Amino acid sequence: MLSAIRRFFKDKNSSEVARERMQFVLMHDRVDLTPDIMEGLKNDILAVFARYMEIDQSSIQVNLEQGKGYTALVSNVHIKKVFRKK
Amino acid sequence: MAGKTIVVTSGKGGVGKTTTVANIGTALAKKGHNVVLIDADIGLRNLDVVMGLENRIVYNLVDIVEGKCKSAQAMIRDRKLSNLHVIPSAQTREKDAVNPAQMKSLCAELTEQFDFVFIDCPAGIERGFKNAIAAADVAIVVTTPEVSAIRDADRVIGLLEANLVKETHLIVNRVNQKMVKKGDMMSVGDIVTLLSVSLLGIIPESEDVVVSTNRGVPLVHDRSSRPGIAYTKVAARLEGEEIPLDEDNGVKLMDRVKRFFMG
Repeated sequence: MLSAIRRFFKDKNSSEVARERMQFVLMHDRVDLTPDIMEGLKNDILAVFARYMEIDQSSIQVNLEQGKGYTALVSNVHIKKVFRKK
Repeated sequence: MAGKTIVVTSGKGGVGKTTTVANIGTALAKKGHNVVLIDADIGLRNLDVVMGLENRIVYNLVDIVEGKCKSAQAMIRDRKLSNLHVIPSAQTREKDAVNPAQMKSLCAELTEQFDFVFIDCPAGIERGFKNAIAAADVAIVVTTPEVSAIRDADRVIGLLEANLVKETHLIVNRVNQKMVKKGDMMSVGDIVTLLSVSLLGIIPESEDVVVSTNRGVPLVHDRSSRPGIAYTKVAARLEGEEIPLDEDNGVKLMDRVKRFFMG
């Protein structure tokens, strides 16, 4: 019944939800990166970037991505201005 | 306040221990009790995904016993119920990272704040099992109507008695009434007679279980789900309510009327 209603409202079906959740969980399990480590990593990356350029602190994203046979750490930061040496 | 510590165990793997912990715990929290669920399966963490809390883990059970954090810091609050918490297991540690004395002291601390402390026991009867049952006042043994699960349940019931767990109850999971009627599956009555232990609940086999774990939302949130209703009844029985144990949970009214008259 509930799944019928969900389908009507074009909600994701549960197998899709499960696949996405498991991709996330397994990737993190394999590299053993807990959310607090990710948070620490994110802060360190921000600190390094901040030495060289002005960045949008709130824009940073650090994600694990699964490729064929490898796991990649992908970070995305918006640059506002690069400091020039005078 | 002195809450109860309840271990959910089975011997055999894959019979529905984690699903049972998630659903009874959620049902009791919905009724207003303060509930904490501990995943004692060190190395094979799963309660977090069944509860849909996998991306909120910071600390875990091993961190607590090793003194790396306070128990409150490792507790993840449920997404819907603020009086429901989960202590996740450690994924990359060994079973011997925790010992029975540490489990006892943790549960003693938790029962001061919570009405119900549930422990999700790992499969098997070795170290992990001994840790999980050490602090339990009550044990719930989960089985399915299959010979291998029943045999393991019997072994576990014996071990629980030997370890002086005062109260042991049985949940028969994945009961398929159609098969029972055709004579292709042992009935709950048969199983209870074989194991001679008090019956706490009968959970019908249902596709809902896979859908619920897919989404990480326990079945008891869905009022139309038959296994969800069955788990809600188990929770009420744990509160002391007397609800008749109906093998035909959810069977059409006409069929029941027919059976009543035909005997």
